[in-house]
Amino acid sequence: MPVITLKVGRFSRFVGKPVTVSDLTKWLPWIGFDLEEVGEDYVKAEYNPNRIDFCSYAGVARALKGFLELETGMPKYHAEEPRITLNIDKAVATVRPYMLAAVVRDIKLDEDAVVELMDMQEDLHWGVGRDRKKASIGIHNLDAVEPPFTYTTVEPTSVKFVPLGKTEEMTPKEILEKHEKGVAYRHLVDLAPVYPLLIDRCGRVLSMPPIINGELTRVDTKTRNLFLDVTGPNLEAVEKSLKVLATALADMGGKIEKVNVHYPDRTLFSPVLEPEKMRLRLNYANKMLGLKLSEVESIKCLQKCRLDAEVVEKGVLEVSIPPYRIDIMHEIDLVEEVAVGYGYYRLEPTMPATLTVGEKHPASKLADAVRQIMTGLGFLEVMNFTLTNERTHYELMRLKPKNPVRLANPVSAEYTIMREMLLPGLLKNLAENRHESYPQKLFEVSDVAKINRRRETMCERRLHLASVTSHSTANYTEIKSVCEALLVNMGLANWQVEATRHPNFLEGRTAAIRLGKRKIGILGEVHPQVLNNFEIENPTAAFEIDLEWLLTKNSRGGNLS
Amino acid sequence: MAGLRLHERKTLMALQGLGGKASVEDIAEKSGLAHAAVMRATLTLSTRNLVRVHERKWNVVTLNEEGGSYAQHGLPERRLLRALLGLGGEADVDEAAREAGLDAGLMPIALGWLKRKNWGVIKGEKCTLNVNTEPPLGDDEKLLAKIFEGRSIIVDDLSRELKEALNILKKRKLVDLEEKTYRELELTEEGWKTVKKGLEILEEVTQLTPELIISGRWKSVKLTRFDVAAPGPAVYPGKVHPLQQIIKRAREIFLEMGFTEIRGPLVETAFWNFDALFQPQDHPAREMMDTFYLANPQAGRLPSKRFVEAVAKTHEDGWVTGSKGWRYKWNPEEAKRLVLRTHTTAETIKYLAAHKKPPIKVFSVDRVYRNEQVTYKHLAEFHQIEGIVVDKRVTLRDLMGTLKTFYTKFGLEKIEFWPSYFPYTEPSAQAVAYHPRLKRWIELCGMGIFRPEVLAPVRVKCPVLAWGGGLERLAMIELGLDDIRLLYANNLGWLRRTPLCQ
Repeated sequence: MPVITLKVGRFSRFVGKPVTVSDLTKWLPWIGFDLEEVGEDYVKAEYNPNRIDFCSYAGVARALKGFLELETGMPKYHAEEPRITLNIDKAVATVRPYMLAAVVRDIKLDEDAVVELMDMQEDLHWGVGRDRKKASIGIHNLDAVEPPFTYTTVEPTSVKFVPLGKTEEMTPKEILEKHEKGVAYRHLVDLAPVYPLLIDRCGRVLSMPPIINGELTRVDTKTRNLFLDVTGPNLEAVEKSLKVLATALADMGGKIEKVNVHYPDRTLFSPVLEPEKMRLRLNYANKMLGLKLSEVESIKCLQKCRLDAEVVEKGVLEVSIPPYRIDIMHEIDLVEEVAVGYGYYRLEPTMPATLTVGEKHPASKLADAVRQIMTGLGFLEVMNFTLTNERTHYELMRLKPKNPVRLANPVSAEYTIMREMLLPGLLKNLAENRHESYPQKLFEVSDVAKINRRRETMCERRLHLASVTSHSTANYTEIKSVCEALLVNMGLANWQVEATRHPNFLEGRTAAIRLGKRKIGILGEVHPQVLNNFEIENPTAAFEIDLEWLLTKNSRGGNLS
Repeated sequence: MAGLRLHERKTLMALQGLGGKASVEDIAEKSGLAHAAVMRATLTLSTRNLVRVHERKWNVVTLNEEGGSYAQHGLPERRLLRALLGLGGEADVDEAAREAGLDAGLMPIALGWLKRKNWGVIKGEKCTLNVNTEPPLGDDEKLLAKIFEGRSIIVDDLSRELKEALNILKKRKLVDLEEKTYRELELTEEGWKTVKKGLEILEEVTQLTPELIISGRWKSVKLTRFDVAAPGPAVYPGKVHPLQQIIKRAREIFLEMGFTEIRGPLVETAFWNFDALFQPQDHPAREMMDTFYLANPQAGRLPSKRFVEAVAKTHEDGWVTGSKGWRYKWNPEEAKRLVLRTHTTAETIKYLAAHKKPPIKVFSVDRVYRNEQVTYKHLAEFHQIEGIVVDKRVTLRDLMGTLKTFYTKFGLEKIEFWPSYFPYTEPSAQAVAYHPRLKRWIELCGMGIFRPEVLAPVRVKCPVLAWGGGLERLAMIELGLDDIRLLYANNLGWLRRTPLCQ
């Protein structure tokens, strides 16, 4: 989640009155922030990605002023008529088709503001732009270049310019190969033989979207007039980014001026800062929230959230939404605004009148019964991850690799597949607890995953039970007694134990557990080679049962669940 | 005297027999008890003020092998002297050696000391005595005999002469010296009173046996009184895992509140995990860095075409919901990709797609996965608590009430609900609890009312109150852990020690 650090001194200037750290810690949670760090003169707060307008001091101040009723209702933004033209070359259609722009005049930026501009840009790139994929922003010193501007494409080596933060000229090709931003984002433009470029009347480069700006238009504390550009393959994301940025700059003291954007087939004027309208039915809001707010009361709530509303017919409000509220997409979003304006802390919890009778899932019933028996037999429950790796799961167990459910993007070599059985996990537990006293008797009742093409997900989840006993005299007889005690107490009839062979276990001391004709488990003395592999020093006997068979109807030997 | 055990009584009686003051060794010998048994008895007897223990550290001298041999057969010079006396006071060296039975190793020693003690002289091959009769035993020989007799001797107990003799024996490397702790017991006044009253030695039995019970012989034996506070060997119960106990508790609370448990697959299609929950296909949570995708198998099947189309349309332009939608082209292939479910809400929405009729109250406490590096704070695999309430007239306040009840039953006291955001709920909130030990608010769960864009495709007409939160976080509070990994470390020491009741 995105984070903003609010220094109280600077933030107070945006609010228009002194704000303390304790004011912020008290009120920010109620407008949707999570406090991450509270310092002596600052608060670091996380905000939700839908409220990307919180990426600026101005944005947070707007909301807080409304909530504290210092200034309520919708902030009005005005964009002057365009004086500058931006031409969109049809060639960009193949690489990054949309660009919108805005001019900000007469702004004063101190060092904090320059830094904030960069932070805002990054948050918008992430929040709306999806890491510059859908939209990316350039902020330029307008006075360093001459309009009209042209958004066009170039051959990889046909121009040279100094990218931001460098001192030497580079071609677009060199930037993609050598510049850190070029390397990071080349996948966004490397799909066509030409690259997008924003140039001025004289062919000077403002930026190479979405990679990097030119050093020429670098913004610093002396900059007074800005040119904002936003590019992307998605016009809506481009538009939203520009609205959030332009309104924040307006709140920072700039005068917004539209830009005449000439596409080959149409002309757009951006930014559009007129409010959007959306209807809200009061009874819908009251029904969702469990309140009985009147028209006046709900309008007040909305105004505290910096919206405006008027009654258009009985019980229906027409809500005006400021341009930076790009998150509102449905009437239900306005319902939440009412709730936030009302104050979540004022919502008295009530119990739903809904009467229902609850029931445990059969798998839980079965697992709990098994837990009761196993603990009664003196076994200690362990809980392992369902994710494991092939070495532990197969190699150490003397098994040939099977066909496990495998991750495409494992985060570590330790967790690459889903377990098909529980026993390897228990042996690992024994290996890691060699320093603890013996006997060690462990069990686990949990899930394994197996491929099953008949299922919608091509996989299935199966409830298993496995158990180990490890000490100097552990043997087959001991574990067989335990296993039989379990089966008998689960109320199962019709089970048998018969000799079998299995690589995990010692030959001649291995048995299959059958329920009717179905093999549901395996039982035996763990093979000494397996013990060596895990570096377990004590004889160990074990069993594993697939309990899922007992959950499937008609295959039940008893009537446990 | 009441309360004395067999060994203690035997020790007291031996001490009495030895005159009221004796070394541990002597008592052991007299009583027939092992040295260690006397020492254990002494511990009790001295705490009860029946004996006093005098403890001293002594230098103790013992004979080594050579010294022992001389003590038995006489010093070599003494043996040579006797042989020469028998041979008339003068003889060839070889002859004298034969007569004395001294081998080539001992002969130089014998000749050397004969000369030093001025008993005789050696001229060439001849050996001539200076004395006519056998001289009396020297101090060195007396000491040798004394040590041999007593096996060991305390250096401080020796007379001045013998101490000098000891120096000679030391130089001749016939003795070993070592420091020993010497304990002597002495009956106290109280102790004397006790023994004078008389002590009875009954047969004492440690383990009651079937034989003793059946025969009735238990009546005529004395059953040892145990030191009931003495530490015994540790045993460990079979137990349910502490985290499982908390899962069980969560499940119980849901059941107490009338919820029914549901269980779904761990592997899900992206469709159920994301698309059906109105999470756009370019949502950051769907990226590889947050979600585990499968390499085998890679893709699953989508549900009915009608339903999938409704979901697709809702994403694209809001469909019939009045929403703007996410405004992109929905891709069914993306929805078929298989993931390890990132939340149990995948199962909840699937349940709703199949059960539309209110009232519904279902829950799960089950495994979910996130593509996270495992650290003290994060796991790649953990449990989520999830529940929904579906009914005609349920509200956000009802959701708050339900959660307040749930977490209060869990023992959390100060609970608040702050605004929050989730792509599939609106209004959304998060439940937080004040952690008195950490002195800060901690997030319990995300919550909200399912968005119309989620409900329209599954054709559910009434509000759905939903919430989901981490279980391990609750477990950490409950168990007082700072490292979440410990929950899955299966450290036997921790499992064995962690109490069932917190």
